[in-house]
Amino acid sequence: MNPSTVLRIARWEVLKGAGALDRRRIVAGVLALVVAGAIGGAVAGGDVTHDAGLYRVGVSPDTPFHGPVSDDPTFVVEEPDRAAFESGDLDLLISGGTIHVRNDRKGRAALAELRTTVLRYNDRTLAGEPNQSAAFPVEVNLVYETRDGETTADVGGGGGDSSSGGDDGGPADGGQSGDTTAPGGTGGDSSGGTGDSSLPNVGGQPLFSSGQSGSPGDIQPPFPFGALVLAFLFVVPMNFVVQAYGASVLRERIDRRGELLLVSPASPGEIVAGKTLPYFAVMIAIAVATAVWVGGGPLSIAAVVPIALVFLASTFVAAMFARSYKELTFLTVTISVGLTAFLFVPAVFTEVTPIALISPLSVVVRDLLGEAVAPGAYLFATLPLYLSAVVLFLLGVGVYREEDMFTQRPVHLKALDAFASRIRSAKGVAAVTAALIPFVFVGELLLIALLYALPLEVTIPLLLVAIAAVEELAKSVHVYAGYVHERFQRSAGAAVAVGAASGLGFFLGEKLTAIARLVQLPELPLGEAAFTTVSGPGDAGLAVLLLFAPLALHVVTAGTTAVGASRGARRYLATYLAAVALHATYNLVVVSLVA
Amino acid sequence: MITVEDLRKEYRGVVAVAGSTFSVDAGEVFGIVGPNGAGKTTTLKMLAGLVEPTRGTATVAGHDVSDPEMRRNLGFLPEESPLYEEMTPLSYLRFFADLYGVDREVAGRRIHESLDELELDVRNRPIGDLSKGMTRKVAIARSLVNDPDVLIYDEPASGLDPVTTNYVLEFVRELAAEGKTVLFSAHNLYHVEDVCDRVVIMDRGDVVARGTVEEIQDTHGTTEYRVYTSVAVSDSVAVDGRYRTVVEDLDGVEAVREQATERNGEVLDIRTVEPSLEDIFLDVAAEDSEA
Repeated sequence: MNPSTVLRIARWEVLKGAGALDRRRIVAGVLALVVAGAIGGAVAGGDVTHDAGLYRVGVSPDTPFHGPVSDDPTFVVEEPDRAAFESGDLDLLISGGTIHVRNDRKGRAALAELRTTVLRYNDRTLAGEPNQSAAFPVEVNLVYETRDGETTADVGGGGGDSSSGGDDGGPADGGQSGDTTAPGGTGGDSSGGTGDSSLPNVGGQPLFSSGQSGSPGDIQPPFPFGALVLAFLFVVPMNFVVQAYGASVLRERIDRRGELLLVSPASPGEIVAGKTLPYFAVMIAIAVATAVWVGGGPLSIAAVVPIALVFLASTFVAAMFARSYKELTFLTVTISVGLTAFLFVPAVFTEVTPIALISPLSVVVRDLLGEAVAPGAYLFATLPLYLSAVVLFLLGVGVYREEDMFTQRPVHLKALDAFASRIRSAKGVAAVTAALIPFVFVGELLLIALLYALPLEVTIPLLLVAIAAVEELAKSVHVYAGYVHERFQRSAGAAVAVGAASGLGFFLGEKLTAIARLVQLPELPLGEAAFTTVSGPGDAGLAVLLLFAPLALHVVTAGTTAVGASRGARRYLATYLAAVALHATYNLVVVSLVA
Repeated sequence: MITVEDLRKEYRGVVAVAGSTFSVDAGEVFGIVGPNGAGKTTTLKMLAGLVEPTRGTATVAGHDVSDPEMRRNLGFLPEESPLYEEMTPLSYLRFFADLYGVDREVAGRRIHESLDELELDVRNRPIGDLSKGMTRKVAIARSLVNDPDVLIYDEPASGLDPVTTNYVLEFVRELAAEGKTVLFSAHNLYHVEDVCDRVVIMDRGDVVARGTVEEIQDTHGTTEYRVYTSVAVSDSVAVDGRYRTVVEDLDGVEAVREQATERNGEVLDIRTVEPSLEDIFLDVAAEDSEA
């Protein structure tokens, strides 16, 4: 690949794109940036106030509730007017030691919010006390345990149960009654030491649900909401950029506009790289600006790079497969939703489980939280996406030629064309199978992430069957494509040879899953089930058996599906299902042996 | 300059080109004619390196068509030339010159010379604003930015008005006069007959006739004799007070003369009519269809 040719095409893509920009597109782009900026600014500033002014509270200045209510933008402070309360203008009325709750859902929600507000206010007040030991007499180090009892992470920090009273009140759920008395009054619980009248109390419910103080029952897994939203800001602009990129690629195919580039000295790879480069540069520039803005470091940007590449690569493939802008829109939206789910859902558990690291967004979250990320963890989070992007680009470039670019075929047939473009021999089959390992890896990790919350007795069998389905598809779909394109002889012997090559390619590529060790994923029960072949048992004989048994399995199942593929679509489907059944049975046996 | 040896292309089992063999000499204008689906465009695209042959070999300017280096010495003009409408002719041509690695100063001079020769004055407006004829001229100018020795033009006058068509054909002649080798296809056989030194006729993927226009006429055409007599003879038609009989050989002419003499008439005039390429093409295509 000639870099100067790539740069020339990249410059041309920019010039051409600039020529296509009209006022409407510029306005739409600026608006998108403004919206993203506003969200980012709000989150970065820590003042996400989507519920500002939600509840109207009548509270007199002489009650201890006035301070908390005034400080919380969720509430609008009004005069404690009984008539206004009864006419429905107020959700809560706090007068003296009594909280009056409007008897509807909003009133009850306002009361719940008041509890949280009071909790935060009390925490802030106590945190400002000069004598912290008195303010927080009990300190708890919080240690999270995995379900099998092994310690995985220490996310603990200081915690204190100030027992600030309030547990002696009557039922204050407000659910049934219109009025709730705050029996605790201004505190005064004998055990709590909150005699300070400045700390209000809402009786009947624990005041503390999270943060630095509360009861053990209030402890919840850490949810890095702010960092997660900020990390998401890295991804949002990509969805806009890939739309422009996909349209640009498809425009080359519509009306055969790209034909003249194909007859130039530039290779398809150089053309695609040149066309992609400006969009990649824009994505990275936005990522850098976002990082500077929200306080991310180079690690955040490094984690975003493979995300950008996968977005571009999958959009490129979609644009190469789509027959129209309508079809492209459907494909790109599907890709955006799928990729965003893959990135976002695991990242929610960044502070809980190492499974979260399957998403590079978890690396961004950790970076934004100021936590260190080991090189192995970075590799674990990003390498599958880097490899997936490379494979997707290679598949797309395979059909970036006159004979495929301008033909109108359904997406699934285009996909088969793309696979077949990379297959000329059994060796090619093995190479493509090995190249599909990153997709298998990503798919299996996603399955783990999606299933890990279910009970193990349900999850593990389900996972083992699903993994078999994914792996058998990766071993056979391109073989089927090869037969559709008459790449191989249709004799049983030739099919078995092609299948064996695919099985061998998978066996060798599968060793990539050893990367899972980098984050100790196999130590989780689900990880152990998913990556059994790399977590060998202690018995030497069994270890040898488990080392070579996968090779035999992959060769047999891939040979079976190859024979089916050589006989047509229906036979392929039937042999595929048989291979999945055999593979799933093998998985269950191996897991039971290891267990 | 161009050699084609048993070139074959199949698309998913459908034969587009059955196995063509021909060669084009340097400085020659070579035509490929044939009906729709004859395999003309596929042949040209294989020679341009756009389509991979299923079988056979071809070289252009000494390079195998699969060699990307070949494209540096080739100017290709597809039948449809959808250009990048948002670009101006100048920026479009400069980009391609850049892509071919042409020095900027040389490229600038060459582009303006080409556009001058093509009489295209509109150079800084978006291509989308240009007429079809102007767009075609830009496409032709693009095929020349790298100053190639070989030009492959697929229907260069497709969709153009007669004036522009004549202009383009004249331009092709000038290019050949400058020493460039031109291989082009056309539906309009009069254009080919007028411009080409040699021709192949393709039908259903096969080359069914080849040679100079004269050679093809000799080989595949039949000279007609139109015998005008003062009296009616069998199969004659009245034309301007005379009677015309069309026969295919001199024996036929003699038979007409004898009939006229028997009826107290005489032969007034005998004219020979050479077949056009179109006549030959239709005959050959009909024969091929019957076969």
